[in-house]
Amino acid sequence: MSATAFSLKEWIFTTDHKRVGVLYLIGSLAAFLLAGIMAMLMRAELTTVGPTVTTNPNAYNVWLYFHGAAMILGYQIPALTGFFANYYVPLMIGAKDVAFPRVNALSVWLYWMGIVLALLTFVIPDPPDIMWTGYPPYSSEFSPGNTSFYTFVVLLIGFSSIAGGINFITTIIKMRAPGITWNNLNIFIWSILAAFTLQIIFVPVLGVAVTLLSFDKYLGTNFFKAAAGGSSLIYENLFWFYSHPAVYVILLPAVGIIYEIVATFTRNRIFNYKMVVYGGFWGTVLLSGVVWAHHIYVSGMPNWIVILQVFTSLLISVPVGLLMVGLLGTLYKGAIEFRTPMLYASGFLFLFLIGGLTGIPNAMSGIYQQIHGTYWITGHFHYVMALSVTSAIIGGVYYIFPKLTGKMYKESLGKLSFILFIIGVNVTFFPWFIMGINGMPRRYYDYQQFPQFEGLQQLSTAGAVIIALSMLVVLIAWLHGLIAGEKSSDNPWGSKSLEWTHTVSPPPPGNFSEIPKLTADWSPYNYGRKQEEGKKIDEEL
Amino acid sequence: MQEHAIGHELKWHTSVWPLILSVGILFLLPLAFAFYFVYKMPMMSIISLGIGAPLIIISIAGWIKEGLEDAHGYSMGHSIWAMPIFILAEAMLFVGFFVAYWAMRLLSPIWPPAGTPEMPVLVPVIMTIILISSSVTIHFAEVNIEHEDRSGFLSWLIFTIILGAAFLGFSVYEWSELFHEGFNFKTNVYSTAFYSLTGFHGSHVLVGLGIFLSVLLPALAGRINKAFVKSASIYWHFVDIVWLFVVSQVYFW
Repeated sequence: MSATAFSLKEWIFTTDHKRVGVLYLIGSLAAFLLAGIMAMLMRAELTTVGPTVTTNPNAYNVWLYFHGAAMILGYQIPALTGFFANYYVPLMIGAKDVAFPRVNALSVWLYWMGIVLALLTFVIPDPPDIMWTGYPPYSSEFSPGNTSFYTFVVLLIGFSSIAGGINFITTIIKMRAPGITWNNLNIFIWSILAAFTLQIIFVPVLGVAVTLLSFDKYLGTNFFKAAAGGSSLIYENLFWFYSHPAVYVILLPAVGIIYEIVATFTRNRIFNYKMVVYGGFWGTVLLSGVVWAHHIYVSGMPNWIVILQVFTSLLISVPVGLLMVGLLGTLYKGAIEFRTPMLYASGFLFLFLIGGLTGIPNAMSGIYQQIHGTYWITGHFHYVMALSVTSAIIGGVYYIFPKLTGKMYKESLGKLSFILFIIGVNVTFFPWFIMGINGMPRRYYDYQQFPQFEGLQQLSTAGAVIIALSMLVVLIAWLHGLIAGEKSSDNPWGSKSLEWTHTVSPPPPGNFSEIPKLTADWSPYNYGRKQEEGKKIDEEL
Repeated sequence: MQEHAIGHELKWHTSVWPLILSVGILFLLPLAFAFYFVYKMPMMSIISLGIGAPLIIISIAGWIKEGLEDAHGYSMGHSIWAMPIFILAEAMLFVGFFVAYWAMRLLSPIWPPAGTPEMPVLVPVIMTIILISSSVTIHFAEVNIEHEDRSGFLSWLIFTIILGAAFLGFSVYEWSELFHEGFNFKTNVYSTAFYSLTGFHGSHVLVGLGIFLSVLLPALAGRINKAFVKSASIYWHFVDIVWLFVVSQVYFW
């Protein structure tokens, strides 16, 4: 019985965390591809002022819906809390598997059912056209689309997330190998713990919000019907109560991956570990539930809430800032080696800086009144969550590639993909800030009233082609590595973390030949720098 | 191969049930709902239910059997840690519903809004008594497990299931009475909140009964997983506590 021979049965019925992780990866990359095609269609549509590829505005709305929903629910969250969490968590804490392997398999298949349901969008005569936000009363009364599919996609993937959260929180609490304490846990593990804490608390509220949409539309209840005494503001508040923390569900694991990459490629300890964990990750978790109203400043709410949320929204840049300080401190005086994952990590830092800085004015209600509903907002959230996080995900896959496949990708292809990526994203999305600040409204498929933006829109579309090209190179690099790559050693990066030092590539069933026993001075970031030297650098900073 | 030399476990663990359960859920909920309510195809909806429900029942039965046989050597002792986390998520679900209800209620100029009939008082009191008693009986069942008294455990468990079913019976009775008086989902914001909250809570009672049945059936054959019983009981107490919120907010406020 060979553990490496391919057997379909062993894949689709698998309960092994590594294989479940790969199933998540396949699903999320498929969602990424489809959502990317939707984005390309929209970019093509916007190359001329009037209708370009379609004369049907509703088709554009369906693309917009699918692009947003698939990117966030189908690609980013499952790639991070599905693939990376599954692959890394048991390996990093020295466990054979997660606490509930079969629940883990259930999570991934429920997510896949969500994908299947989302794909039906392209088959049914009445695809949802309600954006990923699904605001009533359009979605609950007037939309010709099938709102129930939107509801159930969210519910399936949401339930999958909650099951995953229960699983991983239990695993991290109960299944750490002897010697792994709360003070030498990998940063990535902390980020997953924080992200799943958010999922457990906030996903149910989103579930309620979208359920009520279908109740209103198909069962005739009155939650969002103003005429009967309901209010669509209830939906907006419930929705953003989840969907703002969702940004951190995506961001925190991405930051966790970047920390692993940066520590490995700088051969350095984590700068101010406790500040990063308690200040950065848990500070973000603590504040994330009280900032949602900055998405709906203009929807109508008492001024005192607006003012409060201006302060909390600005305040949350402090813990997020601590995360970035930790990263920069880890880079400082490190022996930086610019392999492909490290390039993507530096790309993350740059893209997140732009995204973060352009977000600060959005938090202030006075400025927000002027820029809401413009390309400024779309530019901001694409930089802060779409681009930076994608940089982390792709870099993370390059980083894990030798462990995942036992083979090495071609460094030149990796570097080429990064160069195309970083050029493409900036050419595509930076013009959005310029258009937005000059008043280009978002969500328009035909911008007759704003012909002056045609040039910038075309520049943006050209950038999108470069992004598509870079993704093609990524795909070639991975497939080439998978099929024809050179055999990799068990620890090609020279990392000190358990998944590299204590098991082979790719890890066998059960991960370790025996559960690792670690001494008190073990740390995943112990690169042999003397304690005093580390302290000296910390003091210098 | 290298892995053979180093790994103790040479086989990948598998289970067919997670995939089958997921497919069952896809048919039972989204597809059946869409066929019936969106596309007005009741026949297709019934077919979809007919595919989904058996798949779910078979896979849950298979899942439990596999777990009790402990085919993979996984310890089930972790469920006692998982249940509180699950309950936190469940609690947030109810928070979402209650917030929607409170918002509608506080925005409303008059309460109860026009169209609301005289609400029953006796039935919810009886239902409360039933549900609280069932929390007591499941506690006795647990005590009996501790004393290794299997028959005592079984009878208290069955008694709990009967109480839960009686609760649901009263719920159905009350709903049909109110429907009869013309008080339905569409009547006004109060009916919207009333049916959503009681219905959502009722669905939890139903799930709780399902969990108890999946404890009872193997237990009749002599197989009891203590950690699982404990988790089931914690879940039931939670459903009970939520009812106190439902009854105080929706009926008596």
